[in-house]
Amino acid sequence: MHSITGAGPFGSAFARATLDRRTLLKAGVAGLGAAATASLLAACSGGSASSSSGKATVRLWSWYTEQKDTLPKVIQDFEDKHRNIKVNLRIFGTPDQYLPALTAAVSGGDVPEIFAPHVRAITYGKQGISADLKKELGSDFLKDFFPAENEEYSDGGKQYAIGWEAQTFGIFYNPDLFAAAGVDGEPETWDDLIAVAQKINATGKSSVAFSANPGTSALDFFLPLITQVTDDPTYFLKLDQLEKGYKWTNDPVVKALELNDKIVKANVFQKGTTGTSGDQATQLFYTEAAAMLFAGSWIPAGLIQNATPDFVKKYKIMRTPAIKSGARHWTADQAGAGFAVSETSKAKDAALELVKYLYSPDVYSKLMNDSSSMPATRSAVERVTSPQIKQMASWLPDGCPHIPFGAGSSAAGDPLTKIFDQKASPAEVAKQMQTAVLNARG
Amino acid sequence: MSSQTASHRIPRGSLASGGAHLWRLQRSERLAGYLFALPITVLFAVFVGWPIVFAIYLGFTSWSGFGTPTFTGFANYARMWNDPVARQAFVTTILYAVATTVLQTVIPLAIAVLLNYVWRGLSVVIRTILFIPGIVSFVVSGVLWKLIYDPNLGTLNKALRGLGLDSLATNWLSNSATVVPAIIVVSLWGAIGTNMLIYFAGIQGVDPSFYEAASIDGAGRWQQFRFVTIPSLRVVTAIVVSLNLMNGFKVFDIIYVMTGGGPSHASEVFGTYLYSLAFGSTAGSIPQLGYGSAFSVVVMLLCGVAVAVQVVLTRRAQR
Amino acid sequence: MTTTMARTRLSHADRAPLIGQRRRRPAPLARSFAAFILIAIAAFTVFPLIWLVLTSLRPQNTIFTGPIFPTHLTAAAYPKAWVSTGFAVHFVNSLWITTATVVGVVVFASLAGYAFAKLRFPFKNVLYVALLATLMMPATSLIIPLYLQLRSIGLLDSQLGLLILYISSSAPFSMFLMRAFFETLPDELVQAARVDGASEFQVFRRVVLPLARPGMATVIIFQFLQTWNEFLYANTVLQDTGKLPLQPVLFSLMGQYNTDWPTLTAGLTMSIAPVVLVYVWMQRQFVAGLTLGAVKS
Repeated sequence: MHSITGAGPFGSAFARATLDRRTLLKAGVAGLGAAATASLLAACSGGSASSSSGKATVRLWSWYTEQKDTLPKVIQDFEDKHRNIKVNLRIFGTPDQYLPALTAAVSGGDVPEIFAPHVRAITYGKQGISADLKKELGSDFLKDFFPAENEEYSDGGKQYAIGWEAQTFGIFYNPDLFAAAGVDGEPETWDDLIAVAQKINATGKSSVAFSANPGTSALDFFLPLITQVTDDPTYFLKLDQLEKGYKWTNDPVVKALELNDKIVKANVFQKGTTGTSGDQATQLFYTEAAAMLFAGSWIPAGLIQNATPDFVKKYKIMRTPAIKSGARHWTADQAGAGFAVSETSKAKDAALELVKYLYSPDVYSKLMNDSSSMPATRSAVERVTSPQIKQMASWLPDGCPHIPFGAGSSAAGDPLTKIFDQKASPAEVAKQMQTAVLNARG
Repeated sequence: MSSQTASHRIPRGSLASGGAHLWRLQRSERLAGYLFALPITVLFAVFVGWPIVFAIYLGFTSWSGFGTPTFTGFANYARMWNDPVARQAFVTTILYAVATTVLQTVIPLAIAVLLNYVWRGLSVVIRTILFIPGIVSFVVSGVLWKLIYDPNLGTLNKALRGLGLDSLATNWLSNSATVVPAIIVVSLWGAIGTNMLIYFAGIQGVDPSFYEAASIDGAGRWQQFRFVTIPSLRVVTAIVVSLNLMNGFKVFDIIYVMTGGGPSHASEVFGTYLYSLAFGSTAGSIPQLGYGSAFSVVVMLLCGVAVAVQVVLTRRAQR
Repeated sequence: MTTTMARTRLSHADRAPLIGQRRRRPAPLARSFAAFILIAIAAFTVFPLIWLVLTSLRPQNTIFTGPIFPTHLTAAAYPKAWVSTGFAVHFVNSLWITTATVVGVVVFASLAGYAFAKLRFPFKNVLYVALLATLMMPATSLIIPLYLQLRSIGLLDSQLGLLILYISSSAPFSMFLMRAFFETLPDELVQAARVDGASEFQVFRRVVLPLARPGMATVIIFQFLQTWNEFLYANTVLQDTGKLPLQPVLFSLMGQYNTDWPTLTAGLTMSIAPVVLVYVWMQRQFVAGLTLGAVKS
């Protein structure tokens, strides 16, 4: 066993031995001191609503990636016109990436000036987090929006958010596959659709590609059926908030479930809807494995990106079928994409300036057209250039709710998938929906 | 070393006796111990300890993220007990953690052993390749494998159909029977490399003379493996087992990216459920941070069990 | 006769390389079988990543419609990924934050790991168990408390704050590793140095640390990997997009309805490069070191 250290080096360094401890202590204190100073400096430079140079900073947060390429230029123009306002644009990828950041900011009392409220619009409004835009922007400003958008974001006479992009659902279809199956024209009612599906299935293709995964996507299809059954778009709004007398076990809901069940039983959808994600359903459509696709107005932009140019030229769109001939084609149409303004931020006024600018007719219209998005205002809809968007926007007057905003309502999606899997009867599913919603409310 | 020789090296300023030198040594050792551990402890206390305490506190409250939390005592835990989703998630969490631990302990060990059989060049190449999945984050591997599992266009089903095994080509991630095993495969894919490397080094490090002694006593290859290699790896195995268990209990990224906890909560574990409750886009309009925190406390308790397991295994190994 | 043969075998053993196989060559059949299985496993392991790289080279609308091996290759996604994500800026962010984290973690974890392994002080075990608690909480449950904590200190939306957060939450695990490593070193080493008059810090720095290279290499690899790939904390704690590291920016390419796969995979491929480099650089240290640590003189 030999001593690795040996006597020499340590013997001579021995004089430094006692000093080493002291220097270590000093170094430690200095280090902590440096860290503390650095953090103070960082705190000073870490942005807040208004900085010492007199500029107001407006944060604009969303996950609306469809404007990722087009919005920065609009922001730049705004900043050029308003030299005292700086805009921090942040576009997250998906709601799952966005919501933790938003939740954290809200819990820290530091709400971004303009933010996408997601389904929390009304909750945040009631808590005093988002501003009442009716008061801030005036009723005239709001008049231009479609009623459904305003309704979904308002409560007790206050408007807590405004729609940024409208959305309607419809059935995209492939005329070639229709022709090959001997299908003429477009089905008007669900029964017509069922008949068409039989012909298409006979050719070996799936009829309607649809994603019932996650459960909330299934709600996009099902909830409008409630409106079709009752002919009343406010029915679901009340059910959503579980107002007195409204339960998921009520008769209209069960009838809607029975209709849904009938459609599934007739093999209208592809096999395994509950296993198909939104992306995958769209893929089925543009790889021509399915003749139709039930989805919303985000699809045209996606097809341009992902499908072959020939396919993009040939596909067509039709309305959601009605419950019987001559009835209204109630169409899911709530704006999933909206903006709320922070009530508590110091830069609120600057934020409102930006909002007004973004919605100013020329700016808004151009932005929506450039990003192939459906606008939320009537005046902008009139100026839509994309024929597909124009067609889908024409259904907005027959819009009905399809987004569960109420506490716990989205939990109804899971029992609903059992209809798509044919694992439970409509009556049972209705009961399970009621239980699941109550369970999720806590 | 006698205390006499030691006293030649007595640091300036201490008493010239062996006993006092020892006392001084202990004091400087104690001081050094504290100083060395100081930075990590301070950082831990501020940025880990306090948040953990706060999270535990939140488990006793109801909080939607704004305003102040409302104290509700054990209400969250009572709710958890009665919540069918929580019960299912609990079972899935345990199953997932145990299954991944067993697989991720046994298979890498087997691979490490196999590596000893092949020639060195191939061994190095294989080791490097196996480590590569560990280089990408769980989110990336979740995304990749989600595409591979795609029922219509994914390579797995395409390959199965190409081989004529159409009946096996199912909806991997949306069939409640196959979803959890499918995710376990992905976890294994990512963990093989790192776990295997640890074992490989462990096997390499076993003193060759032990094998010599064993073969002189007449032991064959398999017996040498059983009686020399495996016992030497006990401590390493204990660490690997407890780390894998803890990661299994805490799992979130990989499941959430691939299925979000679906279909209908078939792959829901505590990690994903608590995320949905706090931030989920499908959880509805009011974040439930208090209830979600209660789940993290349960996960913490489970991890405590995993640590206890490791301590017990290590003690036994050292006997 | 047995003794001479044993002695001969022993001398073969002495000459055998430390890092290598057992002295007896396995039967060729066993060797080929093992090779076959290993190659199959390696193929299983690597093909998703090959898919990743292939996707980055495809034109966008052939990702799901085209055949498995693309007929048409284009590297157009790479410049697009570089420009549209502002790759360079975020790459530098990732690089400096990760490097600083690794340095901080190595320093603090080595110091503390040594202290827990070789030094005696009161409450040592209590402290150790408390530090282990870091490993026991799911990261997602700590986001909000951490956010509030950073905010009260004033470190929100700062890379320094994120850095401190990373070091604090990762150091305990690395400390755990370093401690296990230091425990394999003989106590006599430390005693001898002490008797020679070295201060505790000198013992650590001059005697123990040089032997710790393999352990440190392990920590460096694992820590670099983990920090480079981290997403959730960076995404939540940093607000200014200019400060973001690479991962959150790359993932914002995944949209709710549409994902630009070629650009995303191109970005991911480019982001993997430095990690591979670090791994290869540390590889030799890593395996060599782990065995060195186990061999006793």
